[in-house]
Amino acid sequence: MDLVSNLLRRPAAASVLSLIGVLVFYVVFGGVDFGKLMNAASWVNYAARIGIVALPIGLLMISGEIDISIGAMIPAGAMTTAIISGYFELPIIFGILGALLIGVLVGTINGLLAVRTKVPTLIITLATLVGMQGVVLAGSKLFTGSASVPLTAPEWAKTIFGQLMFGGSHQVVIVWWVILAVIFWFVLHQTKYGNWIYAIGGDRESARNAGIPVNSMTILLFILTATSASFVGMCHAILFNSAQVSGGMNDIFNIIVSVVVGGVLLTGGFGSILGVFVGALTFAVVNKGIDFTAIDRNWSNLIIGVMLVAAMLLNNTFREMALRYTPKKGGKS
Amino acid sequence: MPKNTGNVQTMSTHSSSETKRGSLAALARRPETGSLIGFIVVFTFFSILGGSVFMGPAGWSSWLNIAAEVGIIALPVGLLMIAGEFDISVGSIVPAASMTTAMMAGNYDLPALVAICGGLGVGVLIGFVNGFLVTRTSIPSLIVTIGVMFAVMGLTLGLAVLIKGSTSVSYVPAPLAKAMLGQFINYMFNVSIFWWLGFVLIFFYILHISPIGNWIFATGGDRQSARNAGIPINKVTIGLFMASGFCAAFVGVVQVMTYQQAQVAGGQAFIFNSIMCVVIGGVLLTGGAGSIVGILLGTMTFSVVNQGVFFVSFDPNIGSIIVGILLLAAVLSNDTFRTLAFSAATKKSRG
Repeated sequence: MDLVSNLLRRPAAASVLSLIGVLVFYVVFGGVDFGKLMNAASWVNYAARIGIVALPIGLLMISGEIDISIGAMIPAGAMTTAIISGYFELPIIFGILGALLIGVLVGTINGLLAVRTKVPTLIITLATLVGMQGVVLAGSKLFTGSASVPLTAPEWAKTIFGQLMFGGSHQVVIVWWVILAVIFWFVLHQTKYGNWIYAIGGDRESARNAGIPVNSMTILLFILTATSASFVGMCHAILFNSAQVSGGMNDIFNIIVSVVVGGVLLTGGFGSILGVFVGALTFAVVNKGIDFTAIDRNWSNLIIGVMLVAAMLLNNTFREMALRYTPKKGGKS
Repeated sequence: MPKNTGNVQTMSTHSSSETKRGSLAALARRPETGSLIGFIVVFTFFSILGGSVFMGPAGWSSWLNIAAEVGIIALPVGLLMIAGEFDISVGSIVPAASMTTAMMAGNYDLPALVAICGGLGVGVLIGFVNGFLVTRTSIPSLIVTIGVMFAVMGLTLGLAVLIKGSTSVSYVPAPLAKAMLGQFINYMFNVSIFWWLGFVLIFFYILHISPIGNWIFATGGDRQSARNAGIPINKVTIGLFMASGFCAAFVGVVQVMTYQQAQVAGGQAFIFNSIMCVVIGGVLLTGGAGSIVGILLGTMTFSVVNQGVFFVSFDPNIGSIIVGILLLAAVLSNDTFRTLAFSAATKKSRG
């Protein structure tokens, strides 16, 4: 009993329960083929795509901010790589660096505006979202004259960022996702920087008074979110040999949903990397795994909506349990 | 920037002829000032570059038609934001309502009035669910309405495929319904423009004249104090969510009547577009401040940029960049204006 209540008080509890709930739902109503589901790449690839961005977004939301400009940064990263290395035929390394650089640049702008003004970050990043969409579209028209740019990456770049592996259709981004998750887990849960992030999200003013460099941490987190988004875009451009300007808008909500399902508190101060990781996994299982059940995939959005609200209610309950907890008797679920 | 100051001057001379001296400072403290300046700058810009076509009926109708659709939604979304809440679900209510109307009238041959009421009813119902969840749980409205948006999207798609077997329904509306809700006047101006203006008047009355307006401001300013002062904040919140559901559904119905077709997808653009109109219109995202005139101006500014780019020679995608810059300029100037407004008690204010 103690073990159960201990587990339930962890921020990741609701996301794990959501994942189990979805799988049970698939078994009961969908007659899911587990063998096929486990071997399938589609949902793991998708989990990696949103998961890589969800990790820094989770950190950012723990620190009490939000970044929706990621929706423009994924295509921006892809287009930058494709324009530099595909259209201008410079070595791929310049394309990769260019994509990461544009992420750093936009992240810095977001971060600077966030710490220098009192404007809510939702609006700041909404502005950079629309702005960057325009920049990407207009830029690709200006340079290449089309909205889709082909790119042929050399073999080594494909191996590191794009190549399908296991002889199947799994993508290398999955490995990146896992590695990044471990790094982010270490930073958030094992270093002082993690404590700083929690402190900033808990009470910004007190954190500042305690000597935490609140502003540079915030800017750094914004750089991480934008750069991870452009990184994902870059990987996709190398993988699919082309980049499109469109897309990415759905990713905004999908990523936020997976972070929130993962137990991160929107107002900051609460959350964990394990939760964010499982959250992205859960979202991908609902969104892509539904193809392996008898359920019509048109219903997947309904499941996501219901799951989100249910997970949030669970999260709130568990968080209250965690915050009320005094080590004499754990709350029962 | 120099252009900006120029417009402040012009505007101040206009207003000082109407009001007393010293009104410049009062004007600068009004929440609409920034949006008015923005609108004048943008409109001047595009009327110079867009020339006679933009200034002619073609130009006016193109941006007014856009403004009417997004504007009808921006009004309640703005009120919600003044009350400190978000509504993302409008993006899914628009197609849900238009599918409902088209399906009831086109598929089941019900009278147009019943179908329209059905579509609007769906919106009001979804709004109620939003409001209920927001007031009864401690989940932030941003998350609640994202959840509801996904659920409604799934329901619309699933039911459409289940009942109709396709993701779009065509429907030829009765002449009266068409004339009321989807007619193009002079082949250019959609009748929804007048509905928009009607909604503006209604919302103006609600926010600035009726006591409900004060309740909304109080709810957004300080929820707890508002509750202690006896304001039924839960009812206000639920009512506002129902209003935004209704308005989004109204736009959905108008779309069916106008285009004679309903589609499962689409409507997503309304989410951020309506928020952008509201923010350009000077509504504080954190609640407690804003005005209907500001939202109206914000919507007009947004639509002029959105459509104006098609009348000038440069790449239409520049429009996105302009909207982004406007948005930032709007919030930054609001920051400044608000500081002015709150610190202007006795000090001499600048122009």
